[in-house]
Amino acid sequence: MAHVSIPSYWKTLPQRYCLIGMKCKNCGTINFPAREICISCKQKSEFEPKKLSGRGKIYSYTVIAAGSAPPEFSEQEKLAGSFPVAIVELEEGLRICAQITDYEEEDLKIEAEVEAVFRKIYEEDKVIRYGLKFRPVKKRKSLP
Amino acid sequence: MSIGILGYGVYIPQYRINKAEYVKAWGRFAAAGIEEKAVPGFDEDSVTMAVEASMNALDHAKVDASKLNAIYFASTSSPYAEKLVSSTIAMALGAPPRVSVADFTSSTMAGTSALLLSLDFVASGRGHFALIVASDCPYADPGDFLEHPLGAGAAAFVVGEGTPIATIEGSGCTTIEALGERFRKHGEKFIETLGIPAYTQAVIMNTVTSSVKALLNSTGRKPSDFNFVVLPQFDGRLPSGIARKIGFEETQFVPSMIVSQVGDAGAASPLIGLAKVLDEAKPGHKVLVTSYGAGASSDAVSINVNEEIMKRKGAVSSVKDYLADKKYIDYIYYLKIKKMI
Amino acid sequence: MTLQKVAIIGVGQTRFGNIIDKKAEELFAEAFLEAVNDVDKGIDISEIQEVYIGNSGVGGGQLGNFSSLMTDYVGLTGASALRIENACASSGFAMRAAILAVSSGVCDVALAGGEEKMNDTPRNRVRYWLGISGDMEWERLSGMTFAGVFALMAIRHMHEYGTKREHLAMVSVKNHKNGASNPKAHLQRETTLERALASPMIAYPLTLFDCCPISDGASAVIVCKADLAKKYTDTPVYVAGHGGSTDRLSVFQRDDVTSINSSVVAAKRAYKMASVKPEDIDVAEVHDCFTIAEIIAYEDLGFCPKGKGGKLLEEGQTEIGGKIPVNPSGGLKSKGHPVGATGTGQIYEIVNQLRGSVEKKNRQVSGAEIGLTHNTGGSGGTTVVHILKR
Repeated sequence: MAHVSIPSYWKTLPQRYCLIGMKCKNCGTINFPAREICISCKQKSEFEPKKLSGRGKIYSYTVIAAGSAPPEFSEQEKLAGSFPVAIVELEEGLRICAQITDYEEEDLKIEAEVEAVFRKIYEEDKVIRYGLKFRPVKKRKSLP
Repeated sequence: MSIGILGYGVYIPQYRINKAEYVKAWGRFAAAGIEEKAVPGFDEDSVTMAVEASMNALDHAKVDASKLNAIYFASTSSPYAEKLVSSTIAMALGAPPRVSVADFTSSTMAGTSALLLSLDFVASGRGHFALIVASDCPYADPGDFLEHPLGAGAAAFVVGEGTPIATIEGSGCTTIEALGERFRKHGEKFIETLGIPAYTQAVIMNTVTSSVKALLNSTGRKPSDFNFVVLPQFDGRLPSGIARKIGFEETQFVPSMIVSQVGDAGAASPLIGLAKVLDEAKPGHKVLVTSYGAGASSDAVSINVNEEIMKRKGAVSSVKDYLADKKYIDYIYYLKIKKMI
Repeated sequence: MTLQKVAIIGVGQTRFGNIIDKKAEELFAEAFLEAVNDVDKGIDISEIQEVYIGNSGVGGGQLGNFSSLMTDYVGLTGASALRIENACASSGFAMRAAILAVSSGVCDVALAGGEEKMNDTPRNRVRYWLGISGDMEWERLSGMTFAGVFALMAIRHMHEYGTKREHLAMVSVKNHKNGASNPKAHLQRETTLERALASPMIAYPLTLFDCCPISDGASAVIVCKADLAKKYTDTPVYVAGHGGSTDRLSVFQRDDVTSINSSVVAAKRAYKMASVKPEDIDVAEVHDCFTIAEIIAYEDLGFCPKGKGGKLLEEGQTEIGGKIPVNPSGGLKSKGHPVGATGTGQIYEIVNQLRGSVEKKNRQVSGAEIGLTHNTGGSGGTTVVHILKR
């Protein structure tokens, strides 16, 4: 069932663990996830790693109802029921797709401020796949 | 430039279960002096908690993860019995590949072990900055009263060269062979005890008292010299017993008490306790931190609080902030998210 | 080599639904034989030189040499055959491949079709299989589902254009009403706005009635050079235009999630080739895998301005008898969505609409001369549009 194989997952760990985007040296666009041809200038460019802040706003969201989650998440839905997934627009302007965690229903709205948190995403073949989720901005104070 | 603690941070998960839920389920809550305890969410474990505490500590210390030379993870509940997780934390924080790592496991004393060794790491010149993070959520059989006090939390400290907020004055240790108090055999998920409370109590008391005495002897301090004392918090009653035996006042150890709201956070407890008193400490204060690990050993560490701490107050979320941010769950949900049913 | 005009001379489709008693090749054979019989002046199947069959999987997995299995079973051994996988748009693209084969002059007669069986597969396997046509690495691994991806589009459409859950439900009610009169539809029953709104949530704001069913089925279309068409049938339907396009696979990477750019581009190409405008279309089968997808399709295909899809529904313009009837078959929502068979199933419907040969008159769009099919793969990663003329 391992569709995104461990080697493939492993290759993307810098993105999954700490939001490393790849900045196109040609046009400056941050590509996330990494690509070889820039999403913006469509050139085969050089890229430099750029750590993203992890702060952003909900661009759109949904709540995946219990019973309809992909099989990788069937344990999660068993434990925690339905769960929200959102497109988050990061401060840097690009968007990513991730679960929202530690939330209240009223936190789920477009424009709500969220921040990245490191969490367990799912487990497959006994291997824990960690990655980032987002939660409403309320907890961790960060230095400017 | 001197060597010491440059910053610290904690993480306490938002879920709480209170005494009443246990009473409903079991007729009693076998955890003296605990009102409620913290519970990791279904997507949290000792690794994820460690990452957040570490990020707080790095922010507090104003040290970028790319500067770290060592990362030590301390826990009794690493999700892997074999496979480093300090490496997971290193990558999540953005530490450089040359960082030296170690997982300190299998003892609730692991947090102070890692802290002391990280100081040696820096003092020996192997590196400039070390991060130690104790993060724990111990597991026991829900049918066993031993499970009742078990909570969760994490605390991280950045140790290195610079202008420390606190410096280590000295430490003492006592190690004896002890059997059957708290243990977990290879391959088991749950901690166990033979359930001889008087024996367990005596072993803990003697070991901790002895390590504190060793510290007092080596530093020439007396119990009243310390503004704050952090004592082992497996439940809410143990600290007062130890305090009485050594001669500490309530005013010294009560400020460090987190067990009544967090529960027994295993290897993280002593360091969350330390974080809590550092949140309140002023320059010139002296803090004594003790830890205890079954089997048995105890560390006692004397810490001097420096001027620099005032500049860092409120920079990151405090223990109090995390304690205030909570969401109560019922016992069934508790069992579910701890994957015990 | 000059491009040949292409005509459709025969169409066939099984009933869509939960069809346990037929194997994949048997389903395909049923649709194929119907298409052959539909060629009213008759055709020798050995004349079919090129075969393109849309399919996403068999038994929740991949099957090697799927096309050979199908051609072997229906007596087409010898023809060149290709399985086409473009998720839910597989047979739409199979149709386009058959058209290209004929119009290029490579062959005179070609077959396009599609087949899918999903109801013989364990639930978890189906869920797994359903999710593989979007972005696996980021969307799927956030716990995202297909309904979820379209829900993201819906929430944003609601936010930007004031579309309401009621509008989504109106799509469902309309398509169920049409499907109720379609003997080949999966869900042949009407529903009400209240029932649609109150049905269980699948991915907020999409309820069960906003989602198409998981269907089994097959469909087949025989095409030939236009100047040969009358040899086979008195009622050929001509391919006036077609266009295919792709969009970013991951929805979160698209600039605008309230539109599917592959639809916009594919439609533009098809309109241009056919020299028609959206307002010239008399009837359309669009890809309503989720109700919001139909609303977005109205806008992407130019049936109404951007953001006005809800209004078009309120006015009843997409009902049979409206300005632009959409999904008279019941659409994916009611007719069903056997993934690989959907695209040529849409062609089947539009050909019958243009010929005036729909089985039940209440489903017939009267006097339709130009029809459009819109078949989208996954969450919009691929789209193919065909424009057909009587």
